[in-house]
Amino acid sequence: MNPVWSLRSPLLGWCLGFAVLAGAALVFALPIATAVLWSLVDPEVGWFPPHILPASLSFANWHDMLAVPELEEALGRSFLIAVLVTSLCAILGLPTGYALGRGRFPGRRAIEVLVLTPLMMPGIVLAIGLGGIFMRIGLSQTLTGVVLVQTAVILPLSIRILAATAQSIPSDLIDAATNLGAGPASLARHILVPLLLPGLLAAALLSFIASLEEFLLSFVVGMPTIQTLPMLLWAYLGGRSAILSYAAVVTVALLIPTLLVLVVVERVLKQEYLAAGFGKA
Amino acid sequence: MSTLAAVPSEIAAPRRAIRRRRRRRIGTLLLLLPGAGFIAVAMIAPLLQLALGSVGLTGLGASEGFSLAAFGTVLANPMMRDAFLFSLRLALATTVLGVVAALALAALLMLRFPGRRLVMLLYKLPLVVPSLIAAFLILTMIGPGGMGARFAMQLGLGWPQLVHDRAGIGIILVLLWHQIPVTLLILLAVVGSIPRDLIDAARNLGATAPSVFRHVILPLALPGVSAAALLVFIDCFGAFAVPSLLGPAYPQALPVMMTTEFLERAHWQVASAIGVVMTITTIAVMVLYHRLIARADRERAG
Repeated sequence: MNPVWSLRSPLLGWCLGFAVLAGAALVFALPIATAVLWSLVDPEVGWFPPHILPASLSFANWHDMLAVPELEEALGRSFLIAVLVTSLCAILGLPTGYALGRGRFPGRRAIEVLVLTPLMMPGIVLAIGLGGIFMRIGLSQTLTGVVLVQTAVILPLSIRILAATAQSIPSDLIDAATNLGAGPASLARHILVPLLLPGLLAAALLSFIASLEEFLLSFVVGMPTIQTLPMLLWAYLGGRSAILSYAAVVTVALLIPTLLVLVVVERVLKQEYLAAGFGKA
Repeated sequence: MSTLAAVPSEIAAPRRAIRRRRRRRIGTLLLLLPGAGFIAVAMIAPLLQLALGSVGLTGLGASEGFSLAAFGTVLANPMMRDAFLFSLRLALATTVLGVVAALALAALLMLRFPGRRLVMLLYKLPLVVPSLIAAFLILTMIGPGGMGARFAMQLGLGWPQLVHDRAGIGIILVLLWHQIPVTLLILLAVVGSIPRDLIDAARNLGATAPSVFRHVILPLALPGVSAAALLVFIDCFGAFAVPSLLGPAYPQALPVMMTTEFLERAHWQVASAIGVVMTITTIAVMVLYHRLIARADRERAG
């Protein structure tokens, strides 16, 4: 828990609160509202400066985008990849995270550093290195290739959250269960699974979102055959030619699941785990 | 001492104890293998590929055998040098500004004010928003025809060019939007782990809140802050998406050049050489960081 201090006068507190919330509105609410407006701009009328608000709104852009097979394909593919990456990260990350969180063994620090290396290397270096290998072994521009590169950069997040969760299980609980004659199976069922579940859920949610949003490695390995939502967004934002209202539609489509997950994660996950996942060394 | 104490029991049942310990070791190893093994392969293989590829030893495209020609191209080309400096400048500016802003926000969030809990949730938003979306959001704010420009026009004012500018202001703003919350998250977690007694003791001894922040919290949080700064630097130095969208035509960021060489020109050897240069730079920054941390520790101890 962070220390919190009261201000001497409540009026000062209100002023501060107002200033901070105004800042937050400027940095978060206004851009998102503008994105929503851009996605609803009537293409017949447009939205030209200096108008602060568009003259008329319509769902034409959404209709257009939904009519283009591009978006539907990218949406389906992005979610499929996210499910695969999340499962792979859970399968690979759970045992390793558990061992890192609970076990004491020689070389533990080295393994911890190893797990962090994907966060400490520039993503582009990994992308080009793995992209080169995948070209040679025929994984370039395949779904498998994209799933594998995404797992390489998302797995550390999952391992660190699971390790932090495993570490928080009191040893007494496990010792007590073992002393009372619990075998590995019932230990797992009655102690480990229930206590690890919140961490696993949080790791899965964050992996899912991270996969949905991963751009660089998917771009280098998947382009142009395997197109995901962020790659589509890149194209609309200027990679091909800037189409602001289409970019806005993809932005809003990607923001909705993101915001939902943020609220859910905030409920299930302690702040410390989130910090652990994002590479608190 | 503990090893000495453990000896008698091991003499009593040496074989069983050793066997049990060995079994536990093997169990741990088996548990570690899937995740750590995957990461090890996924990290070592690309670095090998880049190192060998940069000197022409792996057969992507036409393999002409060992040559250092690609490094000559990378190091002698003024375009590459400008790209390197541009990426370095983006990363440094974002790191310095980001850390200062995160420290200021952390101090602010230690005060009680109405709406504080909402802000504590809101600031995490950029953590889950992809950088491409951040680029779009900021573009609609500060770009030509963006909200800022519209308000300025209403007031009859001009609006500076903030995207596709040579200083990379637009890029830095997007990177900051993304990196300040990451730094703040780590910072608040570190501050939260400072023993409450320490802060209470300082307060009871008559320290004011600002001086507690300055003399107790800040020094204890510094290792966490510096680690976060390192991660921010590496992330921004290797950033591709944001500079590719909001960057000027010249200079380009190094990752943008690297991707162009790799995907569009199929100059695999040159792309690999750029990758090697970036890896070496990253390692150099990390070594420098550890030197500085070690020296700071020594100074504090001495």
